[in-house]
Amino acid sequence: MSKSVYYLGGTLVLHDVDEGERPPAPFKLIRERWRCEGYHYGTLQPYLREQDVRDTVPRWQPLNLKMQEMREPHDYQVAALAAWDEAGRRGSIVLPTGAGKTFVAIQAINRVNRSTVVVAPTIDLLHQWYARLVNAFATEVGVYYGGEKKVLPLTVTTYHSAGDLVAEYGNAFKLIIFDEVHHLPAPSWGEAALMAPAPLRLGLTATYPEEHEQTQGRWRVDDLIGPIVYTKRIEELVGQQLAHYRTQRLRIDLSAEERARYDADYALYIDFVRSRQLPQRHGPSWLLELMRLSATDPQARRALLARQRLLQLLGGCEGKFTALDALLHEYASERVLIFTEHNAVVYDIARRHLVPAITHETGAAERKQILDGFQTGHYRVIVTSRVLNEGIDVPEAKIAIVLGGTSGAREYIQRLGRVLRKVENRQAALFEVIARKTIEESKSQRRRRRQEADSAYG
Amino acid sequence: MLTADLVRPRLRLRGSELSIDMLDEHDPSWLQTAQDLVALLQGHTGQSQAAWDRALESYIGERVDYVVVRGLAKVLADAATFTPLATPLPPAQLRERLFSHGPVFTTPHLFHPQARYEVLESVADELRISSEQAEAALFADRPATYLLADAGPAWTPAGLIARYNLELARGVLYWASHITIEVSSNYKDLWKFIKLFKLMFWAEPKQGGGYRLDLDGPISPFVSSTLRYGRQLAAFLPALFLCEQWRMQAYVYPPQGRGEMLYRLDHTSSLHSHFKRSGEFDSRLEADFAREFEQKVGGKRGHWQLTRESEVLLLADTVMVPDFVLIDTHDENRRILIELVGFWHPQYLRRKVEKVRAANCAHLLLLVYEGLKITEEAFQDVASEVIFFKQKPVLKEVMKTVEEMADRVYGPSAKRKRKSVKNP
Repeated sequence: MSKSVYYLGGTLVLHDVDEGERPPAPFKLIRERWRCEGYHYGTLQPYLREQDVRDTVPRWQPLNLKMQEMREPHDYQVAALAAWDEAGRRGSIVLPTGAGKTFVAIQAINRVNRSTVVVAPTIDLLHQWYARLVNAFATEVGVYYGGEKKVLPLTVTTYHSAGDLVAEYGNAFKLIIFDEVHHLPAPSWGEAALMAPAPLRLGLTATYPEEHEQTQGRWRVDDLIGPIVYTKRIEELVGQQLAHYRTQRLRIDLSAEERARYDADYALYIDFVRSRQLPQRHGPSWLLELMRLSATDPQARRALLARQRLLQLLGGCEGKFTALDALLHEYASERVLIFTEHNAVVYDIARRHLVPAITHETGAAERKQILDGFQTGHYRVIVTSRVLNEGIDVPEAKIAIVLGGTSGAREYIQRLGRVLRKVENRQAALFEVIARKTIEESKSQRRRRRQEADSAYG
Repeated sequence: MLTADLVRPRLRLRGSELSIDMLDEHDPSWLQTAQDLVALLQGHTGQSQAAWDRALESYIGERVDYVVVRGLAKVLADAATFTPLATPLPPAQLRERLFSHGPVFTTPHLFHPQARYEVLESVADELRISSEQAEAALFADRPATYLLADAGPAWTPAGLIARYNLELARGVLYWASHITIEVSSNYKDLWKFIKLFKLMFWAEPKQGGGYRLDLDGPISPFVSSTLRYGRQLAAFLPALFLCEQWRMQAYVYPPQGRGEMLYRLDHTSSLHSHFKRSGEFDSRLEADFAREFEQKVGGKRGHWQLTRESEVLLLADTVMVPDFVLIDTHDENRRILIELVGFWHPQYLRRKVEKVRAANCAHLLLLVYEGLKITEEAFQDVASEVIFFKQKPVLKEVMKTVEEMADRVYGPSAKRKRKSVKNP
């Protein structure tokens, strides 16, 4: 029998190489076979060739892509790619936020033109990558995460799901790209990089981890991806055009019936929280404490249920729908984004007004279709419970309506700057609809103070 | 399987030992709850998943033991089937058409001369469906709108509680880095499930019979305490309950922190498997061989006893479980292993021959079907005996070879001559 190497769930295993043969360093004799982690595959090439070891690892294929993207790369993007080429197509490129990291990755995929997997930190970013790649290459793109699992020669996944994808299909990709590569040292997030045999690797980030941050985790980014091959600092780039928009808060009243329910539930909830002094005793994690108590203490359970009911009431109170109705009438010819964190409310609005919805249930293809349709004018309004990061892809939105004072809404507002780009001289507007004399008012107040503090630095 | 949030509150940590707060299958109040849930789900046949979720939450009400009730309900719902409503066209297509008219309002307006119902009607007309159909199809692909088609098996309240307990035990393994097992029976199913769930094992024979197995995954030796294989280990667990004598030790990192803890289970546990034990025989060929043996040379007619799969040949990172073991009743150390190589796919056969060669086993007898187009050369450098057969193995020939092999491997048998005179 001849010597060979094969891929097994994130490891490389030598076949018919005896115990006495001593293959090079990364290999260890474990369970009667020489084994090592997948990421050594690239550096093991000389050994495999010299020893005439039959290599059954690669299952990647040519992509035969045609770039549809007509945008010209900036000089620094060209330089970054050249540096990556120079380093044997292994290593990280450090670029400031907004400097077109995705575009650099698209150029890299185009050069390599072999099966590639992109790893993104969140599902929202996965969807963004999906849309960019489909547009760039006009080809089918696979997605692999909790909700959808379709593996194609060009596939996007999340750090969370990458381990499973690599265990099963690791040797199907020649290039692996890590978006926001500084996440790698995290305990289980580096496993995919460790397991993948892809000889070509590209890390992208704006904040490369410091030496001490690298060693705190289980693995060093340099070892798994290669060194930093290119860095551009923010000062070196021309100032990014930040969005200008005005924020307007609309306060609505609860109906008499809603008010009665709200007051009753609020009393039930707040009396318990106060009587147990939860915020004083448990600080920021007091809500977790309330949840923990609710599994043993009937009063805590009633308080928690009351809180859930009142949040639900605020999410779907009639006044907000009336306000939304009025705003949609008022901005009848504008593109409008509606945000609410409550999934059920999203579908309620979609059904009421016959407008497309984007939630965590929306698959990558339909999500892209909706955003594309929004851009071309096929759709005028989108209602969503997701934070739409795709600033570049939805430049048409001029009006955003945020229903509610939830923490998701807060994040949403912080990111709206990217969505509401200033087009010509027309100013974008953000409407925040909150219920008067409820917990939403105080939350909104706190947020405003913080925003003002933020802008003092800007 | 249960979600982590339904398992975590049921874990009990004491020292370095982890245990589970399981439900008593005889507790009348839990039996009542189980019965209520079974009835509640059955009552929702034909209704949407969202309706079931709402009914469940209202059943739970202010109960503080909601983690358990939700767990029981999860077991029920997992075994039930929710299917999407059949629609005249794909919902996504309908949405694309319909939503191009949005936003619409209940009443007409300067910029929106068509009210909602008018838009719905005209699009439904274009698609040749009714507006009721359009309304129903609009989000019919959302899991929340799926309809309960089949409430699953006929659960008894005690059966549901037992299964819930098993799911809790599985849930512990979500946080396991590896497990060790000591086992002494029914290996065949064990190997089958280890393979099925893509686990890796390392086995050593135990003194006094049986094996000690380490179970984890390929990357485990390189990433200490990885929880990557927790879900696979959890999925595998019920296979253990198919064995008769066993002990398991799981190395668990519970989410509450505190580092590595031990979770132990053994055959005295009241948990039982819902996995199916594989049939006694894999093939007709094996069944026929066993029957013919019993009729012609079994029992008191000879000194060989035919047993099923009670031995394992350990071959580095894999195993071979021969179909039969012949045990000499006069001297139980004299054992001949028999493997029937029947009508198999060539790929399977190649692997089999490779395994036989690796086994390097002199007391293994292979009975190979001639029609396999596998030449005798393929078995040339194999330490085992090979007999080819056309339709079925000729028992007389087989037993003759068995005697010869036994003499060669173990030396001549003292009692054999006398016995064979007695039994013509």
